[in-house]
Amino acid sequence: MKRRKIMGLAAFGAVASLALAACGGGSTTGGGGSGSSPAAGPTGFNAAVTGVVNPSSKKSTGTLSFGLSSTPDSTDPANTYYAFMWNLTRLYTMPLMTYKSCPGQCGLAVVPDLATAPGVVSDNGLTWTYHIKPNVKYEDGTTVTSADVKYAVERTFDRTLFPLGPSYFTLLLGGNAAKYPGPYKDKAKTGLTAVDTPNSTTIVFHLAKPFADFNFVTAIPQTAPVPQKHDTGANYQLHPWSTGPYKFQSYQLNKQLTMVPNTFWNASTDPNAKQLVSKVTVTMNMNANDIDNRLLAGDLSVDAAGTGVQAAARAKILSSPSLKAQSDNPISGFLWFAYLNTKVAPLNNVNCRRAIEYAANKVNLQTAYGGPVAGGQIASTVAPPNVLGQKHFDLYEATTKPQGDPAKAKQALTACGQPNGFTTGIGYRSDRPKEVAAATALQQALSQVGIKTTLHGFPAGTYYANFCGVPKYVHQHGLGICFGGWAPDWPDGYGFFDFISAGNTIGAAGNTNIEELNDPIVNNLLDKYATTTDATVRNSYTSQIDHQIMVDAGILPEVYAKSLLYRGPNLTNVYVQPYYGMYNYAVLGLK
Amino acid sequence: MVTFIIRRLIATVFLLIVVSMITFAIFFLIPRLAGQTSYQLATQYVGRNPTRAAVLQIEAKLHLNEPIYAQYGRFLRGLVFGEHYNSGTSTTYCPPPCFGYSFKSQQPVWPQMVSSLPVTASLAIGAAVLWLIGGVTIGVISALRRGTIFDRFSMGIALAGVSLPIFFTGLISLELFSYKWPIFPNVTFVPLTQNPLLWARNLVLPWVTLAFLYAALYARLTRAGMLETMSEDYIRTARAKGLQERTVIVRHGLRAALTPIITIFGMDLGALLGGAIITEHTFSLNGLGQFTVLAVENQDLPEILGVTMLAAFFIIIANLVVDILYAVVDPRVRH
Repeated sequence: MKRRKIMGLAAFGAVASLALAACGGGSTTGGGGSGSSPAAGPTGFNAAVTGVVNPSSKKSTGTLSFGLSSTPDSTDPANTYYAFMWNLTRLYTMPLMTYKSCPGQCGLAVVPDLATAPGVVSDNGLTWTYHIKPNVKYEDGTTVTSADVKYAVERTFDRTLFPLGPSYFTLLLGGNAAKYPGPYKDKAKTGLTAVDTPNSTTIVFHLAKPFADFNFVTAIPQTAPVPQKHDTGANYQLHPWSTGPYKFQSYQLNKQLTMVPNTFWNASTDPNAKQLVSKVTVTMNMNANDIDNRLLAGDLSVDAAGTGVQAAARAKILSSPSLKAQSDNPISGFLWFAYLNTKVAPLNNVNCRRAIEYAANKVNLQTAYGGPVAGGQIASTVAPPNVLGQKHFDLYEATTKPQGDPAKAKQALTACGQPNGFTTGIGYRSDRPKEVAAATALQQALSQVGIKTTLHGFPAGTYYANFCGVPKYVHQHGLGICFGGWAPDWPDGYGFFDFISAGNTIGAAGNTNIEELNDPIVNNLLDKYATTTDATVRNSYTSQIDHQIMVDAGILPEVYAKSLLYRGPNLTNVYVQPYYGMYNYAVLGLK
Repeated sequence: MVTFIIRRLIATVFLLIVVSMITFAIFFLIPRLAGQTSYQLATQYVGRNPTRAAVLQIEAKLHLNEPIYAQYGRFLRGLVFGEHYNSGTSTTYCPPPCFGYSFKSQQPVWPQMVSSLPVTASLAIGAAVLWLIGGVTIGVISALRRGTIFDRFSMGIALAGVSLPIFFTGLISLELFSYKWPIFPNVTFVPLTQNPLLWARNLVLPWVTLAFLYAALYARLTRAGMLETMSEDYIRTARAKGLQERTVIVRHGLRAALTPIITIFGMDLGALLGGAIITEHTFSLNGLGQFTVLAVENQDLPEILGVTMLAAFFIIIANLVVDILYAVVDPRVRH
């Protein structure tokens, strides 16, 4: 009996301890602080799309907690290509240029960050000169120099260590850029001859050919300075040297990142970021539904992926007026579409491609992607609205007859010489349920006009490497249609169109110009885009290229992707940065 | 006994080699046989719109352009002797068992698996204790009170436990006890050494969810075993000899009924130590299960290979321990 009592007491003790731990052990996302409290800002559904919700300069002792259902490609600024990581790196890096921190179209403007002003281009368009702010410090208090920026750019040339980041510097720079192996394998220590640093605050880039969008290229995290003495190569991702408002405290690879304020960060030199909380955590590899539920419960501050809540949480939010008022439904900048191959018969005839444009039922495609809230807005152009210079037009009645126009489709088929239709293949990513549904919806719509299609599902991981991105495979298997999605590396027409429509980008594997469009008009416009420095003129090319691709019917635009983002009531300075299509992480704070 | 253990250990090594060969063939050889070139394989590990030179560099770095046997030999050599890797600024030695470097993260695989192990071990061992105690106790009582309300009720619950998938019971438990009534909020793994109370609090829901499934199974197995054992002649003899009922049940009945339970327990625990994928995913616990999912999503061949070998190792070792226990109990097994 005595023994039973002891066991009972022990059990009670254990339960009591757990209950106490339950009450006191939860992580806090709020806390006390100093500074001005949140001022009145816009409220309600979509308030953060056009305005700043809970604007505040109040410093909080709380933790800004991000949840992530995947993992970063890399936290090393040289080696990342994910949009949410480019957003997140602003918490610990300062690239030469960045996007102006503001909601609405204003947020598409590229502005100086580490640089004092946008790059000054030489008359021949081949030289870009930047001056960097003289008093920017690393997390250890040492001053950033232009040599550190050059070193950061040099690192990106080592594609064996940093294969995941963009390769614009390799493509654009002159000098020895084509053969430069990066600083680790540069036995002769010649360095990258295309980049000069005449003094500690000046950096000069020598291009192989004029490239007017170079300011956008220097807004990529790859220009964030790296101090050579702290570079650890492939291990630098575990602790990138901070110039931003926060610095790495600890990072368990692909599991948990903790950042704390960088005491040497100066708000006056980095006006596009804020340092408002005492800790930032990023918990990785979480269950996506768990992230949503924790957001709604207030246990998490932000979903770092920025692609919106899952179906279950979406239903909860949209059915509750109070939760809906805490959410936003922005256009993400991403386009869902189908490539219509210009080399696979009979789609090598433009009229056959136009028949597909007319026959597609855009409402069903929109439903397949998740409907008007989670899927997106029916698209009639290739460029989404948040690409500079985009203009609305509708050549194939996508918005006026969104359920398709079989009569016009049949006219186009007759013009193509296939009045009774034809047969072709549809490639899609079989492990993406939305794309599977879209492929099926398109198949059904095309069958109404006699176009018979066979579905070819491929794994997403090897989709571009082995299947739709390999022209030889596409031709051999008659894949006239391949599904895809696209977001630009920078928000202008060149950034959006170059890789998906320039004739010189068609590659043997990993090809992104899957429609194999090689239209001299498009190519010429892209060439002019690349060399025209006047932003107004340049942006006028956006709609011209867009229009020509639609005339060519090389792409069937489906939806401008939208996502339902949830912002907790405790967050301050919340707004959607249109370039990312997600909340601007660099300025977030807590009440 | 020593000979028996040595014999089994040699067989274990042989088994692991076979597992490694099969896994290697599945992930390295079959894609080649299906027509993928090493260039195409390398394209997966380069970012968007790569240059040809970048893909070729990665192809060479990952040794994808070498014959399969050479790649396998390199893998085995790393496993036994370790491997040197160049991180750019320095060369680091990856000591054995070096499962190679991740194609994606460019970090050694072994430390990543080791860092995931405490999560999985905490989950698996905690749940195992719960389901073993709960399942066996309920099974014994049900067998002894066959046909009573307790028996019917507990077996009904057991049937539900076996039938309901973890992603269902896990989500329900999270919805009720973490989100709606936050008795266990913010289920996140906290190391035992850092805060034992928080460690336990945060694992209660995963433990109970996982244990519910297994306890149900074990309750039914124990009940069946006990019913069979308790009807044996030697039980009647034991009672006839005047032994106390508790002694009859525990020493003679339960001991015999537990033999198959031990076998299954070893297998189950071994399998779970290799990664409780669904439970870890449901509760966002970054253990070996989540590591496996990520490795597969990323097509990260060294990680897939490493985690498969580790999972196989746990199952083989668990079997070995069970066999040794058998050998201790039954001398015939040693021969």
